[in-house]
Amino acid sequence: MVKRKLVVDPSKCVGCRYCELWCSFKHEGVFSTSLSRISLIKDDRLGLDYPVVCEFCDPAPCVASCPTGALNVLSNGVIYVDVGKCVSCSECVTSCPYNVLKLHPITSKPIVCDLCGGSPICVVKCPTNALRIYPVGVVEYGLEELAALLGKQFKRAAEAHKGLMRLWGVRVE
Amino acid sequence: MCVLSRLYGYAGKVLRINLSSYDVKVEETRKELVRGYLGGRGLNARRLYDEVGPNVDPLSPENRLMISTGPLAGLAFPIGTRLNVTAKSPQTGLLGDSNVGGHFAAEMKFAGFDQIVIEGRSERPVYLYVHDGSVEFRSASGLRGLTISEAYREIRKELRDVRAQIALIGPSAENLVKFSGIFFNVYRPAARTGLGAVLASKNVKAIVVRGDGYVEVADSKRFEEFVSFIEELIYSHQQYWPRRVMGTSRILLAANMLGFLPVRHFQDSVADYPYGVSGERLALEYNVKNRSCFSCVLPCSRFYVVKYGTYEGCFGEGPEYEALAGMTVRIGIKDLNAALKLVSLINDLGMDVISVSEVISWCMELFERGLLNKDEVGLNLEWGDVNSVTQLVEMISRREGFGGLLADGVAKAAERLGRGDELAFHVKGLEMIQADPRGLKGYGLGFAVASRGADHLRSEPFIELADDPRLGAELFGEPEATLRLGVKGKGKLVAYYENWCAVVDSIEVCKNIAENMEILTFDRIAELLNIVTGIEVSKDDVIAVGERIVNLERAYLAREGIRRKDDRLPKRFLVERIKDGPSKGHIIELETMLDEYYEVRGWDLINGLPTTRKLVELGLSDVVEDLERRGIKLLDGKDLTSGLPTMEKFTDKLAKLRLSDVVARLSGG
Repeated sequence: MVKRKLVVDPSKCVGCRYCELWCSFKHEGVFSTSLSRISLIKDDRLGLDYPVVCEFCDPAPCVASCPTGALNVLSNGVIYVDVGKCVSCSECVTSCPYNVLKLHPITSKPIVCDLCGGSPICVVKCPTNALRIYPVGVVEYGLEELAALLGKQFKRAAEAHKGLMRLWGVRVE
Repeated sequence: MCVLSRLYGYAGKVLRINLSSYDVKVEETRKELVRGYLGGRGLNARRLYDEVGPNVDPLSPENRLMISTGPLAGLAFPIGTRLNVTAKSPQTGLLGDSNVGGHFAAEMKFAGFDQIVIEGRSERPVYLYVHDGSVEFRSASGLRGLTISEAYREIRKELRDVRAQIALIGPSAENLVKFSGIFFNVYRPAARTGLGAVLASKNVKAIVVRGDGYVEVADSKRFEEFVSFIEELIYSHQQYWPRRVMGTSRILLAANMLGFLPVRHFQDSVADYPYGVSGERLALEYNVKNRSCFSCVLPCSRFYVVKYGTYEGCFGEGPEYEALAGMTVRIGIKDLNAALKLVSLINDLGMDVISVSEVISWCMELFERGLLNKDEVGLNLEWGDVNSVTQLVEMISRREGFGGLLADGVAKAAERLGRGDELAFHVKGLEMIQADPRGLKGYGLGFAVASRGADHLRSEPFIELADDPRLGAELFGEPEATLRLGVKGKGKLVAYYENWCAVVDSIEVCKNIAENMEILTFDRIAELLNIVTGIEVSKDDVIAVGERIVNLERAYLAREGIRRKDDRLPKRFLVERIKDGPSKGHIIELETMLDEYYEVRGWDLINGLPTTRKLVELGLSDVVEDLERRGIKLLDGKDLTSGLPTMEKFTDKLAKLRLSDVVARLSGG
């Protein structure tokens, strides 16, 4: 099965933390930026705003690192935490290559993005469209005539443009 | 991890820090205070009234600096949350108060506090690190003299925490420049009334907050629905996109079209080069991305980069209208690049750009009139001379030479110079903002009566820009009330909007969205408070909170000796007619409007003091006792008709205290 994941357009993110708050509310019933599955990196001086969230690695290092088998990958790529098996050793936190996975400040069990079962609240609530779901379906790029006509010049433009399309949440092959 | 109290929406704790003894106390947030004042500005004003008396010197250890948030900070409420900083102002000697957005308020709530109260004076330079319910006094000796952005970097490096929210003062505050501010996360200043100097006098360079707490609402389901409703109101509002693209910088071009720009120190109300320095041009050529306050769906702050020219590569957030107009038309600068550089310099040094624009433009006008010469200043202060302005800004920040005279604000500068008093544009010691009151009469009345001095944010009667007499007739029973150049009905208009602003400042949400875009009306605020805090409040209760705060602040000013004679505007606006443009020929008819204002407020027309009856009605009997104990005689106001003014019942419940009655009673004993 082709996996979906969250994509971030950093030029659109304004750093309002609305995604974090609704994530925390949906999963924990309270508002906190420490209890969300998505977290913002910010620097006010330079105007840096960038949300980081589970990349759904395949194979997933967090799953491999878990000594008790509490973490498992579901068929859609989402990491499932079996709280009963977890011993809060934080091996998964250390192993996460993006430092996204974190422990719940109260229960000390790992919290990780579950894509809200298909329509993530962060994507729904984002006021600037900076967050999208990378879709299952693939779109054909279909600019062969331009490629044939322009050659190397086109190659460069197409690379940049395909990068942009990924940020827009369009899967191009 | 601290679990917050069951006072829904609030953190439930007040942090008191005494720097003289390095004592830290945590108190409960009192429920009855929250009911009466909601939070933010209201809570701070009450504490200032109770704890900082008339004998306290603003720069002494006895002065208290308070930072307070409201019930909505930390929630996913679509209108950005803010906080209020209050202390006795070193600039005016009166109520010092400034409101600021950004992310500090929410983080402070997550750290477990609704209010932080700082008193005393540390013997060594420190910065305060408040995290998860505790406080660390960390050495700031290495930070002395650093600018805002430098100190921000150093503290972030030291704490190694990306989420730490930092409030800072710059070098000008350390030099006790009387209009220096506290800067939250580099670009967000609480700069009016000189609160930076208060923090500096306590030997505190910065306050850092960080917390892992959470906030709960009383009714989650209704909250979700209410948020969707408010989101829709905001997203579908006709001002959504103009505000998102330009923020308040869009006002500059509009002000030129309506004729209320402060061109060359209010000598003209229109400029012939507005586009070149407008928000529209910024959006087109400079802005690279938007940034937002905590939990706000209308990200109106803009990050700009200068593309070419001498100041190529200069970047930052903003500027908003006040800074933009202040550093362009008010001092005659036509080069937008230079203006951006100046704004960024003034911010980085930690000063209030509005006050700086007034002291500099005041000097320039004196220069033009030959009342000041090159030898005295050491600079050639011609209109629009960027180099001189830059040098003067640095001189003010260091209190060097002539800059030292200006660093106490325009009122004291004029006094010490012995010249230019009539040209010093301030009210109660606070410099005027970038709007000519002759072209915006409701705002003008607002400046005169505002509790912190010449300021639009106490009333902000935005509706008068609509220039629609039907609105005025319907809402206030006076068609002129909503006409920009009208006079009748302005008292009602300003009183109504003052109450509204006080409430909005106390629940600590963005005034641009809540009030100017008319999203959070009184009934919606009542519903929201009920959903979030669980406290049953009606629309009238909410209006009463606003009125209570305005009256309390007035009582505070009264205790400091402020009377009607101080509710004045600079002479130019009262006697000189506007020369050109759409507001041509207008002056401001202040006295007429003042009479109406006091009447609506239920205050004494002679002295501008609140009446006993009004204060008691608002539950401020202790204030009446306090004022009387200090020998301040209040009128009883028994002939006032009862009831609070509301939008619908404004006319029939209008206070009936007429000037003649007061005179008769005073003369009859």
